[in-house]
Amino acid sequence: MIMNGHPEARARRDYILEQKRGFGRRVIGVFPAYYPRELLLSMNILPVEIWDPPLESSHANAHLQSYICSVVKQGLELILQGKCRDLDAFLFPHTCDSIQNLASIVNDYLGIEKPCYFFYHPKAPYKESSRWYYIKQLEDLALRLEKQFGPLNHHEFKKKVEQGEDLRRTIGELYRRRAEGTLGLSNVEFYRILRQVEYLHPDDFLPVLTAILKRPPDRKSKGLAVIVSGILPNPPEVLEHLDRLGINVADDDFLSCSRRLLARPAISTVPFEAMADSYFGMQPCCTKGSAIEDRLKSILDKAKSSSAKGVIFQMVKFCEPELFDVPILVEGLKAEGLATLVIDTELNQGMSGQLVTRLEAFAEMIG
Amino acid sequence: MSLARKLRYGFMKDVGAPLVMGLAGVKSRSKNIRKPDPLFGPPLKCAERLKEIMTRHYFLSRYAEGAKPVAWVTSGAPVELLRAFDFYTIYPENHGALCGAQKLGPELCAVAEEKGYHQDLCSYARIDLGVCFSGKTPVGRLPKPDLLFASNNICQTVMYWYRVLSHKWKIPLLVFDTPFNFGQISRSEINYMVMQFEEMIPVLERISGKRLDQKAFENVMRLGKESAMAWGEILAAMKTVPSPMTIFDAFVHLAPIVSLRGLPVTLDYYNILLSELKDRISKGIGAIINERKRLMWDNIAIWYKVRDFSRLFAEKGMNFVAATYTNAWAETISYMDETRPMESLAKAYSLVILNNNLDHRLNLMERLIDEYHVDGLVIHSARSCKPYSVGQYDLKRLLMERKGIPSVVIEADITDYRAYSEEQTRTRLEAFFEALEGGS
Amino acid sequence: MEFVVGIDVGSLSTDAVILGEEENILGYSIVGTGDSSTDAAREAMDSAAANAGVDMVRASLIISTGYGRAAVPGSGRQVTEIACHAAGAYHFFSDTELVIDIGGQDSKVIRVGKGGKVLDFAMNDKCAAGTGRFLEVMSAKLKIPLDQMGTFSLAARGEASISSVCTVFAESEVVSLVARNFPKEEIVKGLHRSVVNRVWAMTRQMSVKGGVTMTGGVAKNTGVVALMEERLGRKINVPAEPQIIGALGAALMALRHLKGAAAG
Repeated sequence: MIMNGHPEARARRDYILEQKRGFGRRVIGVFPAYYPRELLLSMNILPVEIWDPPLESSHANAHLQSYICSVVKQGLELILQGKCRDLDAFLFPHTCDSIQNLASIVNDYLGIEKPCYFFYHPKAPYKESSRWYYIKQLEDLALRLEKQFGPLNHHEFKKKVEQGEDLRRTIGELYRRRAEGTLGLSNVEFYRILRQVEYLHPDDFLPVLTAILKRPPDRKSKGLAVIVSGILPNPPEVLEHLDRLGINVADDDFLSCSRRLLARPAISTVPFEAMADSYFGMQPCCTKGSAIEDRLKSILDKAKSSSAKGVIFQMVKFCEPELFDVPILVEGLKAEGLATLVIDTELNQGMSGQLVTRLEAFAEMIG
Repeated sequence: MSLARKLRYGFMKDVGAPLVMGLAGVKSRSKNIRKPDPLFGPPLKCAERLKEIMTRHYFLSRYAEGAKPVAWVTSGAPVELLRAFDFYTIYPENHGALCGAQKLGPELCAVAEEKGYHQDLCSYARIDLGVCFSGKTPVGRLPKPDLLFASNNICQTVMYWYRVLSHKWKIPLLVFDTPFNFGQISRSEINYMVMQFEEMIPVLERISGKRLDQKAFENVMRLGKESAMAWGEILAAMKTVPSPMTIFDAFVHLAPIVSLRGLPVTLDYYNILLSELKDRISKGIGAIINERKRLMWDNIAIWYKVRDFSRLFAEKGMNFVAATYTNAWAETISYMDETRPMESLAKAYSLVILNNNLDHRLNLMERLIDEYHVDGLVIHSARSCKPYSVGQYDLKRLLMERKGIPSVVIEADITDYRAYSEEQTRTRLEAFFEALEGGS
Repeated sequence: MEFVVGIDVGSLSTDAVILGEEENILGYSIVGTGDSSTDAAREAMDSAAANAGVDMVRASLIISTGYGRAAVPGSGRQVTEIACHAAGAYHFFSDTELVIDIGGQDSKVIRVGKGGKVLDFAMNDKCAAGTGRFLEVMSAKLKIPLDQMGTFSLAARGEASISSVCTVFAESEVVSLVARNFPKEEIVKGLHRSVVNRVWAMTRQMSVKGGVTMTGGVAKNTGVVALMEERLGRKINVPAEPQIIGALGAALMALRHLKGAAAG
């Protein structure tokens, strides 16, 4: 992605160009949320994720109605503003109705030269067929990618799958230390670092995490602990404000973070099988069709193990999969004595005075 | 299933329902002696029969609980499989449309909103949740289901929505997961869907207490296929100029193919409707008196506006003769094959318009424009339905480029008229009428 | 300690309350916020001080609340208006379990526990429907002074139905109702109904059996209060000066803070 003004975006662009020049990597722009990262990496493709490009949405309004969420709008805006020139292709996972149709708009209607790949993941309740199909989908995607990017090297694939396991383990440790209160990172710092996963090659990202984990444990932070749920930690001002209020995000249920970055360790060592293990070993998620009870239980477990006093649902406006889960989650969390706060946000639009008041009132309430 | 309930259901089916329908029929017949409307041709005679069928369906449904296994089903789910186990099926989407047409949308949605279901969510879902929380429905009472059956071939929304129902009632949810057809459907996708059917059978056997009867299944498949074919012929009758029926009629006559698919009553009814249409064609009778322009509708109906729109357009001599929506239940029927039921169901249900890429939709609409001699297109941008609505702006542009036909986008909703602005719509429609007249 | 000050800088008005040691109101003021929160805060405090006959520089503690709470000169502490409305409402009506505050920019529903503590709260989403702002826009459209809307509404025989939830759409509905010569009284009642329905929906997320207290400027609107009572099926407590409840709550917190500090 190329976005000149924004510092974070500039860092991304420099990195992408350096990866292309220095390592001959090919770059695919990936839309949210679940995709087989290790498969791409093993073909020397760098996936660069498109969640919330910091752009003013103008062109996209000619293609999308006002009731479409800003993840989809901003993603399309990025393409329409011609800021994807450095990319070799796009990958659209089948995350929700809006991303599904966005994929088809880009592929069928916009006349864009770049190849579009699609990845469908089975929806729960999972059965034998789900696993079978997931592996077939992986194999099928590999075959399609091979036509553009050359053959899949199985030795390399195995290595990347192992590295993926390593990465999940390391991120898991990062989360564990944070929940325990000994990580010593502010909310803003934690997510600024974690979100580099969206474009850094694991060869570069893993050392960043390891360095943090090697620092001596911070003395236990005394602030109030909360869990934050939603699609992604944006607008970042919410985190900033929580820092200011002395509230620690002790764990999260973000789709862009813990829901897809953490998983039970894989059992199989056969790459495709191991990838299936990880996919089905991830946390419950509405976009995968998990039962709401499972998600509730997962959030409750997090609250228990991190002694959180409340849960903040940071909603991207118009996000249907999230909005359907919220009432039951809120009810279930309240029944367990946890405070809840649901806030509507638009990406990159900072915080309104009202939002500030809500966060502060929530802090007063749990304090 | 209790014996007493079964007996009561049987009694109501054979004696109670005909009695009640008979009374209703007398009442509506006496009401029906009206003077002819100068805008429209004679009303379809079989509409009374349709009313009977649907009233009976909802009337009997309240006795089905405990007498028969009851399932709540999404409009695009392969119900044929459930029919083979003799499930009584309720279609919340059809029920939502019914509530929408009776302008009950906002009231029922508000019940769900009070429970925290956001106004941005699909209004069929909000109505249904409102019905579940309050027990209110214009049809008296909906039977509590034993099973939920959803397919994401129409949207992912139904999955989220039915999960809430499943949580509320603590009953199983079967999801028929149909991979979206971005390009070409693959062998492994078909296998995946067939495998899912096989996994469902033991669940259905357990809930219904019946074994899968292969013969009954084949029979349902055959009936389903024949009624969908009849529905296709009914729609094709509208190719005739003037069209013997309007799409607003079709929105109403769609109910059996949606809710009673695979049952003999649907096929019988469509045969009656079809012969009436053929009779009209032979006599040159049009649905509206002065058909000057022929239009196509995109997306689900605006249920609370069907009647108003039907008059508004008829006054201008404009008749809707095609819709992507009504076409959806006839489009993939050629895949149905009772000799290979599972595989053919997989294809027929996964290749429907909403589970297909937008290029497919564009081509389909181009074909409909040609075959039905369409002069203009009305696009309903429905807040509730993202898979149907996202991409419409490009569709509009491309159809203008390729076919040169004028079109208009109406920003509205299927049932929640709080998201509808009369003023804004009128302005847009007037501009559309000008474009349409200017182009002739 | 002589006195404390609570000041609530809202989007439309800025209110100050001066409280003596025994929680007695020594003076208060309500001024328009205008374009500068700081100036408005100063003006409100000066005016309240004059009203109470005290010298502002001798205030033991100033606590500010409301949107402009950060811009108040001399503020020793900031608290949200949620907590302040809860404390203020509880002060006057100790049976309060639910506070409904329909403010200029937003509406809040607050569940209140013992001592006026906030147990839960809900606020309207970004859109202006269901807020004081919505009524302000409509009163301008109908050319009825804001403070007479209540009287108009109570005089209505029938009621216009306003279905749109969006302020812009509702405005066009009002325009067409006016064009069709609909009685203004009935339009106003319909508008009030739409505000009440929005806010009532928020109350449904909290099960409350005890007293309901309405605060904020819109609580002066007898039409809204009457419809809300009808909808809730119970009487609503309305303080004599509902607009200053936020500032009063802030002042109460200032007192408590000082007492807590003295005790601790």
